Amino acid sequence: MGEYTKPLPAISSLNRPYWEALKRRELVLQRCAACSKVWYPPAPCCPLCWSRDWSWQKLSGRGRVNSWVVFHRAYFSSFAPEVPYNVAEVELDEGPRLLTNLTEVDNAKIRVGMAVEVVFAEATADVTLAKFRPTARRV
Amino acid sequence: MSAWNLRDKSAVCGVGQSVYGRRLERSPIDLAAEAIRAALNDASLERDDLDGLIVSFGTPIGADADTLAHALGLKLKLYNQTWAHGRFTASCIQWAAMAVSAGLASAIACLAAVSFSGYRKPMMGGAGDSEGGREGGGGHGEDPVFGMTSPGAGAALVAQKYFSTFGATSRQLAAVAVAFRKHAALNPAAIMRAPISADDHQKSPFVCEPLRLLDYCLINDGAACVIVTTKERARDLRKPPVYISGMQGLPAGREEFIWTYPGFGVSQQGAFDYEPGLQPVYRMAEVTPADIDALFVYDAFSILVWTALERFGFCGRGEAAAFTQDGRIALGGALPMNTNGGLLSEAHVMGWNHQVEIVRQLRDECGERQIVDAGVIQWANAYGDSLIYHR
Repeated sequence: MGEYTKPLPAISSLNRPYWEALKRRELVLQRCAACSKVWYPPAPCCPLCWSRDWSWQKLSGRGRVNSWVVFHRAYFSSFAPEVPYNVAEVELDEGPRLLTNLTEVDNAKIRVGMAVEVVFAEATADVTLAKFRPTARRV
Repeated sequence: MSAWNLRDKSAVCGVGQSVYGRRLERSPIDLAAEAIRAALNDASLERDDLDGLIVSFGTPIGADADTLAHALGLKLKLYNQTWAHGRFTASCIQWAAMAVSAGLASAIACLAAVSFSGYRKPMMGGAGDSEGGREGGGGHGEDPVFGMTSPGAGAALVAQKYFSTFGATSRQLAAVAVAFRKHAALNPAAIMRAPISADDHQKSPFVCEPLRLLDYCLINDGAACVIVTTKERARDLRKPPVYISGMQGLPAGREEFIWTYPGFGVSQQGAFDYEPGLQPVYRMAEVTPADIDALFVYDAFSILVWTALERFGFCGRGEAAAFTQDGRIALGGALPMNTNGGLLSEAHVMGWNHQVEIVRQLRDECGERQIVDAGVIQWANAYGDSLIYHR
């Protein structure tokens, strides 16, 4: 595998636990102890009730496609080999919506409401991305 | 305690613009100077009559307000600028209206200048786009690690959701681009004047699917300027005053995703049946949507016309797709919109070209594209800010 040339996240005091958990292949977000809300992106307090009593919670990694787009232009040269590539907004079962790429699916088959699950995609030694794929049908 | 009533306390006394073009290779300061000079001339004011300057889309890629004040030798007692983004058009005019009403300045030039060919080669999306470097979606929709970049991508996310939720189609969206191109054909200053059809729209390539090239605004060079003063002063000048009668601020927060209205259910918004009620801008101006003779919106992407119409109650949720068909938003229709051709076909001057057109419409200066008996015109955006002007 060649050098990773796509944009990397700006890791800060606010989001470091999120990115460290992805390296461990866990999807975590902040959850408020006062009102139980789970939110994204990372914030210094619960954006709903302003409580600072929150902790990082491991999530199910399951959700549904809320909307999606397909890029037909390479704004980043590092994405050029993948054009046309998809970006989806996934609504997690816990509520927050994440932007992501869907894998293991043809762009033409993506639909709003499609059930998806997280896939941990290692980008570099320090960064693993939360991507999603269609969930295998369960009884 | 009653609110400080700003209705009709201030007015636009002059408007001006530079030439608009795709490859002028002129700096934003150069273009801004041309627009300011034209607006002063229109207002019958001299340079030293200007004591305020508010620059929209300012540093780092537009006309930096510090540099502009130096370059033109202005003598200002009030100035400000917004960062490199187009959404602050109404905000700048609101600040100017408040400032002149409060006596902090007497004549304020409000403007934007943009030069995609002549200065720093700014990018919308990709590695050169500082705003596009933001992560996590938020209020504007970027997440570069997944290749999610460019303003059009957030708008495309809204368009896809709109199509899916309401059963609307890309072909219906073509009506917006087609209507505004018709208007541009009547506007000698417009960059794109050749007529287009819905078929042309459908044949234009996807940029960020489901949005196509003809759903996207122009990328160009140009400047436009509006001079705001008190109503008393405006009445003493050469051109008839165009009064600023209603204003509504630019909202932000988790319920806002700037390409649409609250409750739409994209980014971290809730998903609920949004009901606009009578928005504050109408209460201030003492009118209702039924009184609006023409509507101007920030049409960076065609979908923003739909979400703006629904946000302000010109039609119900999910109804804009049908509302915009059959010439209703074209000249001669029930609600003419963006008679200059908009950002889609006249030029992308961050909505300042729309303010210039609104003022000219209210002064009967628009020739072939004049709206008959235009008395009240609104600027209103998908992201919630608004102005109402009247003659």
